[in-house]
Formats: sequence, C-alpha cells, structure tokens
Amino acid sequence: MGWLRLAFILYVGLTIIYFVTSIYSRSVRREKLEKEWDTDPAREGVPVDERQAFIETGMQAYEEGLKRQLLWLIYILPTIGFAATIYFVNWT
Amino acid sequence: MWTKIKWGLAILALVIAGLFLHYTLPQHDVVQVINTYNRVTQIGGNWLFYSIEDTGTGVETTTTSRDIRFIEAVFPDGESVMVYRNEDTGWLWPPYFKWNSSTLQAQATNALSDRTNPQWVAISHYGWRLPIFSIFPNAVSITPVEGPDVRLIPWINIIILTFLAFAIFMIRKMWLQFRERLVDPALVDAGEAFDAVGARAEAVQKEARGFFGRIGVWINTWRAKK
Repeated sequence: MGWLRLAFILYVGLTIIYFVTSIYSRSVRREKLEKEWDTDPAREGVPVDERQAFIETGMQAYEEGLKRQLLWLIYILPTIGFAATIYFVNWT
Repeated sequence: MWTKIKWGLAILALVIAGLFLHYTLPQHDVVQVINTYNRVTQIGGNWLFYSIEDTGTGVETTTTSRDIRFIEAVFPDGESVMVYRNEDTGWLWPPYFKWNSSTLQAQATNALSDRTNPQWVAISHYGWRLPIFSIFPNAVSITPVEGPDVRLIPWINIIILTFLAFAIFMIRKMWLQFRERLVDPALVDAGEAFDAVGARAEAVQKEARGFFGRIGVWINTWRAKK
C-alpha cells in the first residue's frame, strides 16, 4: 500500500504546483499583452474597450496555445523521474 | 537586533537544508568489499536513520530490533574503512525506491576480494556514518570500476541540484509577479483610501513593511468594504 500513499501525496503536491504555475503563467502573459498595447504609439487614445478586447483575444489564444499545454509536463516529468529511479535502482 | 535574529534564522535554515541534502543525495565511494554479513541490530532513538518499519527489510523481530544486512569495505588507501547498511528504503523517504537489498547483498558478496588481488567497486550510497549514534550509510548500488583512481561524475546530483536552483528561481519569480500584480496595487488602493479620509498614506506604507505586512494588506483587500 506504500506506493498508493506515495502516489497520493505526489499528485496532490503536483496539482498544487500545477495550479500555482498556471496562475503565474497566465499572469505573465496578461502583463505582456498589456505592455504590448500600452507601449504601441499607434494605439494611443484608442478606447479602453478595445484594449480590453485585445487582451481577452490574446488570453484566448494563450489558453489554446502550445505553451499552455506544456504545463502538463509538471505531471509528466516527475512521473518519468520516479519510474526511472525505480528502474535504475532495482533493475540495472 | 531583529536583523541579527533574521540573519541567524536564515543561516540556520540554510545549514539544515544543506545537511539534509548532504544526507539524502547519493554519493559514490570507490572501495574494495572485504566482508558482507547480517546482524540483528538494536534500533532506538536513531530510528530516523534507518528504514521505516514496514519496508520489509530482513526479519523484523520487534520494532526495536531488526536483522540488517551490512557491507564492510576498505578505501584505496588500505586503512580507512566504511560499513554500509543494506536496507530497502520503502516508498516515501528518501525516494530511492530500493527493494533489491537481497540482490545487492549477493552482488556485494560476489565482489569480495582481498588485499593481494583487490577488486574495485563504486558503492553508491546515501547517509552518514556516525559511530556515536550507530548510524550507517545505506548502500544503493554496486558497480565494478577499473581501478581505485577512477573519476566518477555525479550526474544525478548535478541534475537534482540544477533543478532545485531552477525551482527556487521560479518561486522567487512567482512571488515577485504576485507582488507586482496583486499586492502592490492593493497598497496603492489602500493608500488612496487613507488619503481620501485625510489620513496619511505613509501609515499604510509603514504597515506594509516586510513580507507579512504586504500579505496582510493584500488580504485586507479581500474583506468587505465598509
């Protein structure tokens, strides 16, 4: 039963890390979009609504993009690491 | 005064983290195995430095005494010796997931050699040898090496420590981002609210000093506005 306890603790921990990292990643992307808009001289004086729309479109693209999907590595890499450890310690 | 206490605690935390890593991370010794055996061992206050009870190593007679396999080895200088225990590690900590201690013991016995015809092996292990507490490092693997002068690159440690450094760097970046996006705007808001009622914004600034001060101000923004 030891491995069940380990798997439980591991995946609860990884889930916390996954959520914190995804919030962080989203926040960085939003800031980048805001700065992109705010530093563009051509967009000076454009209504706030359009800025909002620009950011929301950018965020939508991020949510569907590859970078967002890479966050699943937070689950995949430790799983591979643990499996590799078990293999190399006991079978080689 | 507080700065000194803060620095003291920080240094203490660093030392504890360093010792913890030094105990847990694998190390390699190039040695010659001279004896392997098992012996019923008393485990008392030093239980923390042995495997946890239910890992199924050897014959567990009671919780305080256990049949443990040992490997005795001598370093290339021919004088200094080391005694390794050979125990399964179980599923939790340290995460070596070793359950082949019988096989490892057979490998160690197979590598037995004497002074006249030494056979050199690299024993990967974690842990410390502290005679005063009867603590032994736990051998994890035995690999034959060409000679006593072989140079082993600690790849596992390089990978783990690099990853740890990366994790600390990322936590710092996340904290700074959190502060920039949520906490600092909250400070400005709180400052403006104080200005509005005629109080000085500096009061807020003062309150917001340090890590917990900032967090406190941010949490206050979650409270219902009156």
